[in-house]
Amino acid sequence: MGQSIFLVALFAVFCTTLCSCCSNPQVTSKSFTTLDATIVSNVAYISEFTVKCGSGEVGNLYAELDGNVSPVSIVGPNTYQVSWTEESKSARKGDREVRLLNEDGFTAFRRASRANEDISAIPSLFSVVINHPGAFSGPWLQSEFIATILSLAVAYFALASRSRVVA
Amino acid sequence: MSKSQNKGFTKEEELLLQDFSRNVSTKSSALFYGNALIVSVVPIWLFWRIHMIDIYSSLILFAVVTAVSTYLLAMAYKNTKFTLKHKIAVKREEAVTRDLSKKLADDKKMSKKEKDERILWKKNEVADFEATTFSIFYNNALFLAIVILASFYLLQSFTPAVNYTFSIGTTAGLLALLSTGSQ
Repeated sequence: MGQSIFLVALFAVFCTTLCSCCSNPQVTSKSFTTLDATIVSNVAYISEFTVKCGSGEVGNLYAELDGNVSPVSIVGPNTYQVSWTEESKSARKGDREVRLLNEDGFTAFRRASRANEDISAIPSLFSVVINHPGAFSGPWLQSEFIATILSLAVAYFALASRSRVVA
Repeated sequence: MSKSQNKGFTKEEELLLQDFSRNVSTKSSALFYGNALIVSVVPIWLFWRIHMIDIYSSLILFAVVTAVSTYLLAMAYKNTKFTLKHKIAVKREEAVTRDLSKKLADDKKMSKKEKDERILWKKNEVADFEATTFSIFYNNALFLAIVILASFYLLQSFTPAVNYTFSIGTTAGLLALLSTGSQ
């Protein structure tokens, strides 16, 4: 009797583990990055994505970016959000790929990072791409500089004209 | 100079005297003061909107500095005009003479003296107009250039009120001083 109960329990755990795995996930994501860095020092990256699994559940997600892993926040049913900030000077332009790991992937990641193994080999559940077109950090030339140059050019013209008349 | 001597001036001499006089006509003076006022008022916008000076609490400062600057700039206009007028007259003399001689060539009734007088008058008028407009342009260009340079770079570290007073006052004073030179 005890053995059969143990077998049923084992099967239940196996089934739950098997069924909870999200298979064939369909991801739709939208992203935001800071575009105007004239008065802020950091650029924010936010990606919000909705996951639809072919079968199973998504469970907890972890985001991996440039060798760092952080938990993904759940902001709604099947909707998740990853966000981070970077110094505006060092914020890279272009596509940033965020790999999303499930619990298994996270465990594998920790194991690999402890053993100094290649973490890119760890299979991710899916990945989302955030495009950062670059933040505007003010004009190349300050407007007062342009005003000064223009007014000095006009003043030079006036002085040259005067010296032509006087000569 | 006595009255008896004054009476002795011919029309041509009076014209010459007027030509060499430092005094300007009322119309010219009004033009100079009007222009000087406008140019002195314009930087208030710069200090109000860009340097964020409080316009209501600084009204008295604005009025005083604008008045002083208007006076100094008008003086600079006048002096510059006086210096340049004769140089311009010499430069334009040939062209004016040629132009007017061509026009008056058909008029046989006019005496040579009258023709010369007309040429002199025309030359004076042309030189006066050109010197007036050039003097306004020259001083305005220098004034605005120095004010922008001083307020944004040289006096940047001072408070807006000090920056305003010194950049406008010093520039107007400098232009008035420079205009007193003979060259």
